[in-house]
Amino acid sequence: MLTIDSLRAYGANVNEGLTRCMNNESFYLMLVGKSLEDRNFEKLREAMAAGNTTAAFDAAHALKGSTGNLALTPIYEPICQLTELLRGKSEAVNADALVDRIMEQLEKAKQL
Amino acid sequence: MITDALIHSTRRTVLIVEDEAVNRDLLGIILKGNYDVLYASDGLEALEILETYPGRVAMILLDILMPRMDGIEFLRRRGADEALSRIPVIVLTSDKDAELETLKMGALDFIAKPYDMPEIILARIQRIIEFVEDRQIIQEVERDELTGLYTRGFFFEYSRRLQAAQGGELRDVIAVDVDHFRLVNEVYGKGFGDELLCAVADGIWDELRGGFGIACRGDVDLFYVYLNQREDYEAVYSRLMDRVHALGRQTNVRLRMGVYRGVEADRPLDWYCVAAKAACDTIRGNYARSVVVYDSTMHERELYNERLIADMETAIAEKQFVVYYQPKYDIRGDVPKLYSAEALVRWIHPELGFISPGAFIPLFEENGLISKLDDFVWREAAAQIRDWQDRLGICLPVSVNISRMDFFDTDLKRKLLEIVAENGIPVDSLVLEVTESAYSQNMERMLKTVGELREAGFRIEMDDFGSGYSSLNMLCVMPIDALKIDMKFVRNVVNSGVGYRMVELVVEMARALDVPAVVEGVEDEAQYQMIKRVGCDIIQGYYFSRPVPPEDFEPMMKKDR
Repeated sequence: MLTIDSLRAYGANVNEGLTRCMNNESFYLMLVGKSLEDRNFEKLREAMAAGNTTAAFDAAHALKGSTGNLALTPIYEPICQLTELLRGKSEAVNADALVDRIMEQLEKAKQL
Repeated sequence: MITDALIHSTRRTVLIVEDEAVNRDLLGIILKGNYDVLYASDGLEALEILETYPGRVAMILLDILMPRMDGIEFLRRRGADEALSRIPVIVLTSDKDAELETLKMGALDFIAKPYDMPEIILARIQRIIEFVEDRQIIQEVERDELTGLYTRGFFFEYSRRLQAAQGGELRDVIAVDVDHFRLVNEVYGKGFGDELLCAVADGIWDELRGGFGIACRGDVDLFYVYLNQREDYEAVYSRLMDRVHALGRQTNVRLRMGVYRGVEADRPLDWYCVAAKAACDTIRGNYARSVVVYDSTMHERELYNERLIADMETAIAEKQFVVYYQPKYDIRGDVPKLYSAEALVRWIHPELGFISPGAFIPLFEENGLISKLDDFVWREAAAQIRDWQDRLGICLPVSVNISRMDFFDTDLKRKLLEIVAENGIPVDSLVLEVTESAYSQNMERMLKTVGELREAGFRIEMDDFGSGYSSLNMLCVMPIDALKIDMKFVRNVVNSGVGYRMVELVVEMARALDVPAVVEGVEDEAQYQMIKRVGCDIIQGYYFSRPVPPEDFEPMMKKDR
């Protein structure tokens, strides 16, 4: 079950995320749940598969904002790297490993 | 009244434009304690909301990357709309790159993602809203609505700062005043008055173009300008007058200009403005001069005048004003006979000593205090008439001045009749002297009021005849009982040969109007002989007596009556 403790154990910077939610725990958990269902994860995967770096960048950029704000560090960190890798590029090099890591962390979080 | 507290206690609305639900909701929970929050998920929706609630949104928090319409396009649209561009925008960004571009497009600040502490976000938003609203309030009140020049308060505030930073630059202050503006408004209408003020303001704008200088409308028809020193203010003046003439009406409108040369940092700018205004006021009514440069004696005079104005009420209460009497003699017979007297006020100030009427009467005429002083003199004179009647058995007519200002008092007739009744003296023993210039300035009203006073039994003498601008036609319809001319005036305008002829003319005019001709200011035997030869009826002047206190006047009453 998604709880403050399980998120903390997962590696999220819970204190930071909670502060942004005015320390409203249930609100924070609700947003985290919503974030894990964000359609941008799906868009990112599809765009990468199709080699569409622009669409991939847009999705990654959006995810960077929300996971950053919720301090979901295990997802946020590879997303930051991916965003920089894709920025202004027509071709993604060495991006697959990062995408895999993101999806892996996403699944892990969903199991909480 | 709108106070700061009220303004800052009103709940503002913030519009969050962000496609990411998580980010949007996060900002929402941070803001909703302090603000009403509206949400839009892209630029297009934001524009729709702003159109739906015009004037409601105090601040926009804007994401950059959004579907349909992104933040950059939204900023572009906002910049093209005057109302929208007044709403401050804070950009939500996780990219440094976007910052410069959005800044150029009018964003005021940034909130980085991931977000800072909520307190920091709230503080930033609050500060920006306050800053923008204060700026808007200032913009609304710093300019004079009619002319576009600064308002007085802002002029002094800005010019004080400029003065502190002026360094070695030579700078001056000028005051520009419209002569008799109230009259211009009355005669040509307020619309023309406004046009005139705008023309002067436009002229001032022109003068300041390309150089240092700021200007304000300091009062209804008074302008102050703080500017880099000019060599030739007469030229500045004539350019301003060109503006006035360009209004295309045949008017006698005239500007007056006072200049303070060489503003220093040691005195507040207000002081220099007062000085320039004082210089400007020295030529009020003097049509020969239009530009005056201040010199230090003017300020001393200004201070002295302020003192007199401040002391006036006390002086009345403490009877520092005393009334002197100067005899008028009837010279028609072989032996001059005491005919009447003129009441003349004197001020014996406990600290300043004897003050010449020439120093305080024009001053009180200017600010309206003269009415109080007149009232005092009327009562004193009436009481004196009664006193002489009781003690000496002589009812000697005494004339008093009615100032132009007194005619604005609709109660004038009732007041004068009351004074006469209170003292139990005949109405025609209190003679009213009205200067000719009072007639020409508001002719209809004057004719009506003077007519009513005469019907009530008062006698009216026209004072200072020849110094005003009355037409012969006006003289014919004027209800008066005597024409009074000043020797000094005759001497001033013409050399002695023509002067003789002038007096003769006035006497003939008085004959034609069937009223006595009175000449005042007759000082010596030669003048007396000349005046008598011309056929003048009544004489007042040092030749017979200077104005004296009542007790010194009484011997003449006993001897020459």
